[in-house]
Amino acid sequence: MSHHETDAERRMNSDMADDMADDMAGSLTLDANAVAGRMRELFGIEMTAVPSACAHCGNVAEMGTLNAFTRGPGVVLRCSACSGVVMRIVETPDATLLDARGAAYIRLPRTGA
Amino acid sequence: MTEPLRWQIATVTDIHSETPNVSSFTFALPDWMPHLAGQHYDLRLTAADGYQAQRSYSIASEPMRTGVITLTVERIPDGEVSAYLHDVLVVGDRVELRGPIGGYFVWKATTGGPLLLIAGGSGVVPLMSMIRERAGVGSRVPAALLFSSRKREDVIYWDELAALTAADPSLRVFHTLTREQPPGWTGYGRRIDGEMLAEILPAVGTDARVFICGPTLLVEAAAQGVVDLGIPAAQVRTERFGPTGA
Repeated sequence: MSHHETDAERRMNSDMADDMADDMAGSLTLDANAVAGRMRELFGIEMTAVPSACAHCGNVAEMGTLNAFTRGPGVVLRCSACSGVVMRIVETPDATLLDARGAAYIRLPRTGA
Repeated sequence: MTEPLRWQIATVTDIHSETPNVSSFTFALPDWMPHLAGQHYDLRLTAADGYQAQRSYSIASEPMRTGVITLTVERIPDGEVSAYLHDVLVVGDRVELRGPIGGYFVWKATTGGPLLLIAGGSGVVPLMSMIRERAGVGSRVPAALLFSSRKREDVIYWDELAALTAADPSLRVFHTLTREQPPGWTGYGRRIDGEMLAEILPAVGTDARVFICGPTLLVEAAAQGVVDLGIPAAQVRTERFGPTGA
Protein backbone atom coordinates (compact mmCIF):
# COMPACT_ATOMS: atom_id res chain seq x y z
CA MET A 1 0.00 0.00 0.00
CA SER A 2 1.47 3.28 -0.99
CA HIS A 3 1.76 6.04 1.57
CA HIS A 4 0.84 9.53 0.53
CA GLU A 5 2.32 12.22 2.69
CA THR A 6 -0.28 14.72 3.80
CA ASP A 7 0.50 18.43 3.97
CA ALA A 8 0.63 18.20 7.75
CA GLU A 9 3.05 15.30 7.62
CA ARG A 10 5.19 17.02 5.02
CA ARG A 11 5.25 20.12 7.21
CA MET A 12 6.14 18.07 10.26
CA ASN A 13 8.89 16.20 8.44
CA SER A 14 10.26 19.45 7.12
CA ASP A 15 10.26 20.93 10.65
CA MET A 16 12.02 17.85 11.97
CA ALA A 17 14.64 18.05 9.25
CA ASP A 18 15.12 21.74 10.06
CA ASP A 19 15.48 20.99 13.75
CA MET A 20 17.99 18.23 13.07
CA ALA A 21 19.99 20.51 10.81
CA ASP A 22 19.94 23.18 13.54
CA ASP A 23 20.95 20.72 16.20
CA MET A 24 23.75 19.20 14.16
CA ALA A 25 25.19 22.52 13.04
CA GLY A 26 24.69 23.91 16.52
CA SER A 27 26.46 21.02 18.15
CA LEU A 28 29.47 21.37 15.89
CA THR A 29 30.06 25.07 15.64
CA LEU A 30 30.30 27.56 18.44
CA ASP A 31 32.18 30.81 18.80
CA ALA A 32 35.35 31.17 20.80
CA ASN A 33 33.11 33.03 23.26
CA ALA A 34 32.14 29.55 24.41
CA VAL A 35 35.69 28.87 25.58
CA ALA A 36 36.40 32.38 26.83
CA GLY A 37 36.75 31.09 30.40
CA ARG A 38 39.34 28.51 29.40
CA MET A 39 41.29 31.06 27.33
CA ARG A 40 41.22 33.52 30.19
CA GLU A 41 42.59 30.82 32.48
CA LEU A 42 45.37 30.10 29.99
CA PHE A 43 46.39 33.66 29.11
CA GLY A 44 45.39 35.42 32.31
CA ILE A 45 43.39 38.08 30.49
CA GLU A 46 40.10 38.40 28.67
CA MET A 47 40.83 37.05 25.18
CA THR A 48 37.63 37.31 23.13
CA ALA A 49 38.22 40.96 22.23
CA VAL A 50 41.92 40.35 21.47
CA PRO A 51 42.80 40.44 17.75
CA SER A 52 44.65 37.58 16.15
CA ALA A 53 45.87 37.07 12.58
CA CYS A 54 45.16 33.82 10.79
CA ALA A 55 48.43 32.30 9.54
CA HIS A 56 46.58 30.68 6.64
CA CYS A 57 44.70 33.59 5.07
CA GLY A 58 45.86 36.66 6.99
CA ASN A 59 42.40 37.56 8.28
CA VAL A 60 42.67 39.68 11.42
CA ALA A 61 39.75 39.50 13.80
CA GLU A 62 38.87 39.42 17.49
CA MET A 63 39.36 35.95 18.88
CA GLY A 64 35.66 35.88 19.80
CA THR A 65 34.91 35.53 16.08
CA LEU A 66 36.80 32.24 15.77
CA ASN A 67 34.66 29.17 15.29
CA ALA A 68 35.08 26.81 18.21
CA PHE A 69 34.79 23.04 18.00
CA THR A 70 34.49 21.74 21.52
CA ARG A 71 33.16 18.23 21.18
CA GLY A 72 36.52 16.53 20.69
CA PRO A 73 39.09 15.72 23.35
CA GLY A 74 40.34 19.28 23.06
CA VAL A 75 39.18 22.61 21.68
CA VAL A 76 39.86 23.58 18.07
CA LEU A 77 39.51 27.23 17.06
CA ARG A 78 39.16 27.90 13.35
CA CYS A 79 39.32 31.10 11.31
CA SER A 80 35.85 32.40 10.47
CA ALA A 81 37.10 33.52 7.04
CA CYS A 82 39.04 30.48 5.74
CA SER A 83 38.24 27.75 8.31
CA GLY A 84 41.96 27.11 8.87
CA VAL A 85 42.93 25.90 12.34
CA VAL A 86 44.18 28.88 14.33
CA MET A 87 44.60 27.29 17.74
CA ARG A 88 44.21 23.98 19.53
CA ILE A 89 43.94 23.61 23.28
CA VAL A 90 44.15 20.23 24.99
CA GLU A 91 43.99 19.78 28.73
CA THR A 92 45.64 16.77 30.35
CA PRO A 93 45.55 16.03 34.09
CA ASP A 94 48.83 17.85 34.69
CA ALA A 95 49.24 20.25 31.77
CA THR A 96 47.54 22.33 29.12
CA LEU A 97 48.87 21.93 25.57
CA LEU A 98 48.50 24.95 23.34
CA ASP A 99 49.16 24.68 19.61
CA ALA A 100 48.93 28.19 18.19
CA ARG A 101 50.82 27.70 14.94
CA GLY A 102 47.75 28.82 12.99
CA ALA A 103 47.99 32.30 14.50
CA ALA A 104 50.50 34.57 12.74
CA TYR A 105 50.18 36.83 15.76
CA ILE A 106 48.00 37.57 18.75
CA ARG A 107 47.86 41.20 19.80
CA LEU A 108 47.81 41.12 23.60
CA PRO A 109 47.12 44.40 25.39
CA ARG A 110 49.85 45.46 27.83
CA THR A 111 48.86 45.65 31.46
CA GLY A 112 47.68 49.09 32.35
CA ALA A 113 47.48 50.10 28.70
CA MET B 1 40.69 42.54 33.79
CA THR B 2 44.08 40.97 34.49
CA GLU B 3 43.25 39.58 37.92
CA PRO B 4 42.88 35.79 37.94
CA LEU B 5 39.37 34.58 37.48
CA ARG B 6 38.42 32.62 40.57
CA TRP B 7 35.71 30.11 41.14
CA GLN B 8 33.35 31.30 43.85
CA ILE B 9 30.57 29.60 45.72
CA ALA B 10 27.26 31.12 44.67
CA THR B 11 23.96 30.58 46.47
CA VAL B 12 20.66 30.22 44.63
CA THR B 13 18.29 32.95 45.81
CA ASP B 14 15.48 32.59 43.26
CA ILE B 15 14.29 30.24 40.53
CA HIS B 16 11.73 31.57 38.07
CA SER B 17 10.12 29.55 35.29
CA GLU B 18 10.14 31.48 31.99
CA THR B 19 8.72 28.81 29.64
CA PRO B 20 8.14 25.04 29.96
CA ASN B 21 11.83 24.46 29.10
CA VAL B 22 13.52 27.62 30.32
CA SER B 23 14.09 28.94 33.82
CA SER B 24 15.97 31.86 35.31
CA PHE B 25 18.27 31.17 38.26
CA THR B 26 19.40 34.03 40.45
CA PHE B 27 22.62 33.58 42.43
CA ALA B 28 24.11 35.63 45.22
CA LEU B 29 27.87 36.00 44.72
CA PRO B 30 30.28 36.67 47.60
CA ASP B 31 32.69 38.46 45.22
CA TRP B 32 30.17 40.03 42.88
CA MET B 33 31.55 42.47 40.34
CA PRO B 34 29.72 44.48 37.69
CA HIS B 35 29.50 42.71 34.33
CA LEU B 36 28.97 43.95 30.81
CA ALA B 37 25.70 43.05 29.10
CA GLY B 38 26.44 40.08 26.85
CA GLN B 39 29.01 38.44 29.16
CA HIS B 40 28.61 34.99 30.68
CA TYR B 41 29.57 32.96 33.70
CA ASP B 42 31.03 29.49 33.76
CA LEU B 43 29.12 27.17 36.08
CA ARG B 44 30.77 24.06 37.52
CA LEU B 45 29.18 21.12 39.26
CA THR B 46 31.24 18.59 41.19
CA ALA B 47 29.88 15.15 42.01
CA ALA B 48 30.69 13.29 45.21
CA ASP B 49 33.24 11.17 43.30
CA GLY B 50 35.05 14.25 42.04
CA TYR B 51 33.59 14.21 38.52
CA GLN B 52 33.15 17.74 37.25
CA ALA B 53 30.94 19.18 34.55
CA GLN B 54 31.24 22.77 33.40
CA ARG B 55 29.09 24.93 31.13
CA SER B 56 28.90 28.59 30.11
CA TYR B 57 25.65 30.49 30.59
CA SER B 58 24.85 34.02 29.48
CA ILE B 59 23.96 36.60 32.10
CA ALA B 60 20.36 37.77 31.78
CA SER B 61 20.38 40.43 34.47
CA GLU B 62 21.52 44.01 34.09
CA PRO B 63 24.81 45.10 35.71
CA MET B 64 23.15 47.61 38.04
CA ARG B 65 21.60 44.78 40.04
CA THR B 66 24.42 44.47 42.54
CA GLY B 67 25.34 41.38 44.51
CA VAL B 68 23.44 38.94 42.35
CA ILE B 69 23.34 37.68 38.78
CA THR B 70 20.57 35.89 36.93
CA LEU B 71 21.35 33.16 34.41
CA THR B 72 18.51 32.04 32.14
CA VAL B 73 19.02 28.40 31.16
CA GLU B 74 17.25 26.22 28.64
CA ARG B 75 16.73 22.60 29.63
CA ILE B 76 18.58 20.54 26.99
CA PRO B 77 17.41 16.93 26.63
CA ASP B 78 20.17 14.73 28.10
CA GLY B 79 22.09 17.85 29.12
CA GLU B 80 23.79 16.84 32.34
CA VAL B 81 24.21 20.33 33.72
CA SER B 82 20.98 21.98 32.54
CA ALA B 83 18.96 18.95 33.69
CA TYR B 84 20.51 19.22 37.13
CA LEU B 85 19.73 22.93 37.32
CA HIS B 86 16.12 22.40 36.24
CA ASP B 87 15.30 19.20 38.09
CA VAL B 88 17.41 19.22 41.24
CA LEU B 89 18.51 22.73 42.17
CA VAL B 90 16.43 24.58 44.80
CA VAL B 91 16.73 27.94 46.50
CA GLY B 92 19.54 27.84 49.05
CA ASP B 93 21.66 25.37 47.06
CA ARG B 94 25.19 26.32 46.16
CA VAL B 95 27.12 25.94 42.90
CA GLU B 96 30.50 27.15 41.69
CA LEU B 97 30.57 30.12 39.31
CA ARG B 98 33.38 32.09 37.71
CA GLY B 99 33.04 35.25 35.71
CA PRO B 100 32.06 37.57 34.27
CA ILE B 101 33.71 36.36 31.06
CA GLY B 102 33.77 37.71 27.53
CA GLY B 103 34.75 41.00 25.94
CA TYR B 104 33.62 40.63 22.36
CA PHE B 105 29.87 40.09 22.40
CA VAL B 106 29.17 42.93 24.83
CA TRP B 107 27.32 46.22 24.89
CA LYS B 108 27.47 49.14 27.29
CA ALA B 109 24.88 51.88 27.56
CA THR B 110 27.73 54.36 27.06
CA THR B 111 28.48 52.71 23.70
CA GLY B 112 25.11 53.92 22.48
CA GLY B 113 23.05 52.82 19.53
CA PRO B 114 21.00 52.36 17.55
CA LEU B 115 20.78 48.68 18.41
CA LEU B 116 19.53 45.79 16.32
CA LEU B 117 19.24 42.61 18.37
CA ILE B 118 18.43 39.32 16.69
CA ALA B 119 17.77 36.20 18.75
CA GLY B 120 16.81 32.59 18.28
CA GLY B 121 15.36 30.81 21.34
CA SER B 122 17.55 31.12 24.43
CA GLY B 123 19.94 33.23 22.35
CA VAL B 124 17.80 36.10 23.63
CA VAL B 125 19.43 35.87 27.07
CA PRO B 126 22.55 38.04 26.52
CA LEU B 127 20.43 40.43 24.43
CA MET B 128 17.95 40.71 27.32
CA SER B 129 20.80 41.84 29.55
CA MET B 130 21.43 44.62 27.00
CA ILE B 131 17.71 45.52 26.86
CA ARG B 132 17.51 45.59 30.67
CA GLU B 133 20.64 47.73 30.95
CA ARG B 134 19.28 50.12 28.33
CA ALA B 135 16.02 50.39 30.26
CA GLY B 136 17.82 50.61 33.60
CA VAL B 137 19.85 53.67 32.64
CA GLY B 138 16.86 55.28 30.91
CA SER B 139 18.54 55.15 27.50
CA ARG B 140 16.27 55.95 24.57
CA VAL B 141 18.63 54.97 21.76
CA PRO B 142 16.48 53.29 19.10
CA ALA B 143 16.52 49.55 19.64
CA ALA B 144 14.79 46.68 17.90
CA LEU B 145 14.69 43.02 18.88
CA LEU B 146 13.80 40.40 16.29
CA PHE B 147 13.10 37.26 18.26
CA SER B 148 12.54 33.84 16.68
CA SER B 149 10.85 31.15 18.78
CA ARG B 150 9.15 27.91 17.84
CA LYS B 151 5.77 28.46 19.51
CA ARG B 152 4.09 31.15 21.56
CA GLU B 153 4.61 29.18 24.79
CA ASP B 154 8.34 28.97 24.04
CA VAL B 155 8.80 32.75 23.92
CA ILE B 156 11.14 33.70 26.77
CA TYR B 157 10.47 37.02 28.59
CA TRP B 158 7.17 37.59 26.72
CA ASP B 159 5.50 39.65 29.46
CA GLU B 160 8.58 41.67 30.33
CA LEU B 161 9.26 42.50 26.68
CA ALA B 162 5.62 43.59 26.25
CA ALA B 163 5.84 45.81 29.33
CA LEU B 164 9.14 47.35 28.21
CA THR B 165 7.85 48.18 24.72
CA ALA B 166 4.61 49.61 26.14
CA ALA B 167 6.64 51.97 28.34
CA ASP B 168 9.18 52.95 25.70
CA PRO B 169 8.26 53.62 22.06
CA SER B 170 11.97 53.71 21.10
CA LEU B 171 12.17 49.96 21.82
CA ARG B 172 10.50 47.73 19.23
CA VAL B 173 10.09 43.97 19.54
CA PHE B 174 9.25 41.77 16.56
CA HIS B 175 8.37 38.15 17.21
CA THR B 176 8.42 35.34 14.71
CA LEU B 177 7.02 31.90 15.52
CA THR B 178 8.53 29.32 13.19
CA ARG B 179 6.60 26.23 14.21
CA GLU B 180 3.09 27.13 15.25
CA GLN B 181 1.19 30.39 15.42
CA PRO B 182 -1.79 30.85 17.75
CA PRO B 183 -5.13 32.06 16.32
CA GLY B 184 -5.06 35.79 15.68
CA TRP B 185 -1.24 35.91 15.66
CA THR B 186 -0.10 39.17 14.06
CA GLY B 187 3.67 38.62 14.23
CA TYR B 188 5.81 36.80 11.71
CA GLY B 189 5.32 33.08 11.17
CA ARG B 190 8.50 31.92 9.46
CA ARG B 191 12.24 31.68 9.83
CA ILE B 192 14.20 34.91 9.77
CA ASP B 193 14.88 35.94 6.17
CA GLY B 194 16.06 38.94 4.19
CA GLU B 195 12.55 40.27 3.60
CA MET B 196 11.81 40.23 7.33
CA LEU B 197 15.10 41.97 8.12
CA ALA B 198 14.38 44.59 5.46
CA GLU B 199 11.00 45.30 7.08
CA ILE B 200 12.37 45.85 10.57
CA LEU B 201 15.60 47.63 9.65
CA PRO B 202 13.92 51.07 9.28
CA ALA B 203 13.23 50.96 13.05
CA VAL B 204 16.97 51.38 13.70
CA GLY B 205 18.66 52.15 10.36
CA THR B 206 21.92 50.93 8.87
CA ASP B 207 23.99 52.70 11.54
CA ALA B 208 22.80 50.08 14.02
CA ARG B 209 25.17 47.97 16.05
CA VAL B 210 23.95 44.44 15.48
CA PHE B 211 24.11 41.60 18.01
CA ILE B 212 22.94 38.17 16.86
CA CYS B 213 22.72 35.17 19.17
CA GLY B 214 21.16 31.79 18.56
CA PRO B 215 21.68 28.51 16.77
CA THR B 216 24.40 28.55 14.12
CA LEU B 217 22.10 28.48 11.10
CA LEU B 218 20.01 31.39 12.36
CA VAL B 219 23.11 33.38 13.25
CA GLU B 220 24.67 32.88 9.84
CA ALA B 221 21.47 33.64 7.92
CA ALA B 222 20.78 36.78 9.96
CA ALA B 223 24.39 38.02 9.80
CA GLN B 224 24.46 37.60 6.04
CA GLY B 225 21.02 39.17 5.79
CA VAL B 226 21.92 42.38 7.60
CA VAL B 227 25.17 42.74 5.64
CA ASP B 228 23.20 42.31 2.41
CA LEU B 229 20.99 45.20 3.58
CA GLY B 230 23.99 47.50 3.83
CA ILE B 231 25.08 47.21 7.47
CA PRO B 232 28.90 47.08 7.55
CA ALA B 233 30.15 43.68 8.75
CA ALA B 234 32.29 45.43 11.37
CA GLN B 235 29.05 46.52 13.13
CA VAL B 236 27.78 42.94 13.37
CA ARG B 237 28.70 40.71 16.33
CA THR B 238 27.54 37.15 16.61
CA GLU B 239 27.42 34.46 19.24
CA ARG B 240 26.55 30.92 18.23
CA PHE B 241 25.43 28.36 20.69
CA GLY B 242 24.77 24.67 20.57
CA PRO B 243 23.99 21.78 22.87
CA THR B 244 27.51 22.00 24.31
CA GLY B 245 25.99 24.79 26.35
CA ALA B 246 23.79 22.13 27.96
